[in-house]
Amino acid sequence: MTTSPIPARLIKWLLVLIAVGVSLFPFYWMLRTALAPQSQQLADGLGFWPAHLDFGNFARAWNKANRGQALLNGLIITGAILLLQLITCVPAAYVFAKIRFKGSGILFGVVLACLLIPTQATMVPTFIGINLFGLGDTRIGLVLPFYSSAFGIFLLRQQMLSIPDALLDAAKTDGLGPWRTLLRVVVPMSMPSIAAFAIFSVFTHWNDYLWPLLVARSPDLATPPLRLAVFQQADIGFDYSALAAGAAIVTAPILILFLFAQRRFVQGMAGGEIAG
Amino acid sequence: MTTVLDKPVPSLAAAGKPIDPNRTRATPYVFIAPAMSGIGLFVLLPALLSFIGSFFAIPLATGANWKWVGFDNYTSVFSDPTAHRAIENTLLYCVITIIPSLVLGLLLALLAESLRHGRTLVRTALFLPMTANLVAMAVVFKWIFALQGGFANQALAWIGVAPINWLNDTRYSLISVALVGVWRGVSLTMLLFLAGLTTIPGAIHEAAAAEGIRGWAKLRTLILPMMKPTIVFATVLSILTSIQAFDQINVMTQGGPQESSETILTFTWKVGFSYFQLGKPSALSFVLIAVLICIGLVRRRAFSAEQR
Repeated sequence: MTTSPIPARLIKWLLVLIAVGVSLFPFYWMLRTALAPQSQQLADGLGFWPAHLDFGNFARAWNKANRGQALLNGLIITGAILLLQLITCVPAAYVFAKIRFKGSGILFGVVLACLLIPTQATMVPTFIGINLFGLGDTRIGLVLPFYSSAFGIFLLRQQMLSIPDALLDAAKTDGLGPWRTLLRVVVPMSMPSIAAFAIFSVFTHWNDYLWPLLVARSPDLATPPLRLAVFQQADIGFDYSALAAGAAIVTAPILILFLFAQRRFVQGMAGGEIAG
Repeated sequence: MTTVLDKPVPSLAAAGKPIDPNRTRATPYVFIAPAMSGIGLFVLLPALLSFIGSFFAIPLATGANWKWVGFDNYTSVFSDPTAHRAIENTLLYCVITIIPSLVLGLLLALLAESLRHGRTLVRTALFLPMTANLVAMAVVFKWIFALQGGFANQALAWIGVAPINWLNDTRYSLISVALVGVWRGVSLTMLLFLAGLTTIPGAIHEAAAAEGIRGWAKLRTLILPMMKPTIVFATVLSILTSIQAFDQINVMTQGGPQESSETILTFTWKVGFSYFQLGKPSALSFVLIAVLICIGLVRRRAFSAEQR
């Protein structure tokens, strides 16, 4: 590897730089627009750098769109979904990975089938059902359909398969019941994939747009992306700066979370393979 | 229980003294019940109802009763030019997002893995699109693709190409939203491939080096076969993401202009929730699923034929 000639390395780095540039450019453009003074946007909005920094856009975005409320909603809903998914999926994954029982094959087949059913096919009946039970336009209606996750069961199971059976047998001989085996042996050993799934779940539901768009009709319930989309279509006129600032506010929490949790996430996703 | 824990007596446990055999037998079902009820109620049941509903006329607005219409919804899907467009566009969108996502994702993963300096920094930068809020990014991409003053056209001007009406030209709208899909998709597939690359044992690399296998030959004969599970997983995830693309399309073009970027999901959304007709979008969903299953079967056959 050390012998690779200079031109090859140069080309490699050039490709890397292009990829990094394309990957980061929209983020940069968002920040640039958010920090540029409002007057600069269309007149000479072509500059690569803002003329001078203007943090007032963030204040306008925050106030106009009642962003605090939306962020709080996002936090509550994402947190509730995450908690429920961990409670439901971890034990199920453990059973599918390590315990043989009647019908396990068929039931895991059901999990795989659910993994492959697209939103299109489930969205309308779920919406009708949620409304039928009077849960339309409520926080419960935003959370309930996601209390379990086929992807979660699948991903966690894949890693739990690699837990040595001897360890579980040892736990049994030590008199640990299934619950304590789960909590004291399986969960600690599956932390990488649990972390990866948790981050994945937070990404998905913080960023979800379609379901809140259907369910959250009253503005008080809006999640951050929904609020942003409404803000984008409606009353803002040409206040691009405030819109970009709003986009930055929605993006920042997940970005920061990812920067902190990156290593665990990548490790945990390594287990997410379909065996064979 | 606690006494057993404090002082493990293997012989006692080995003698198999289950506290209550019925309870132990029920345990697996107790463990999976919450999760299975969730996907049963909110994935399987709706999908089933949707399938049944595709044979009915369901006027949601008037609250009138369901009316059996047989295959009318399906025939109307096949005779409706917009529905046609939606199916075509969805398949086209899948092709022009999935293939680049997988190929570029693999290349970037190999590239990032081979770096000696700044590897972590490069990885982080390349992962970021995956974390981005697609609605927020769609808003930004809308400006980048703006006809006047958009960065994309400005960049074209630098190399002397006439501006393109990215979002409002029927020829380019689907490509524009697909570019956003690729921008994000590459980041996810790259992450999966990187994770997959780390599972290849170092001994394999050493053996390959000793045998003098490197470059393209190493990739084709060693790396790719070993990464097959990851490739399958990445392909499945890419297909799922692409057929469900909605966010950036709804923000950037809303399916327009003239249905040129209408996909099955945006169409379902419009017909179902703007005109409150539910039978037809359900039928459309199942046409899509049927098409996907057919493609899956053909691909599987191609795959197994290749292996023989």
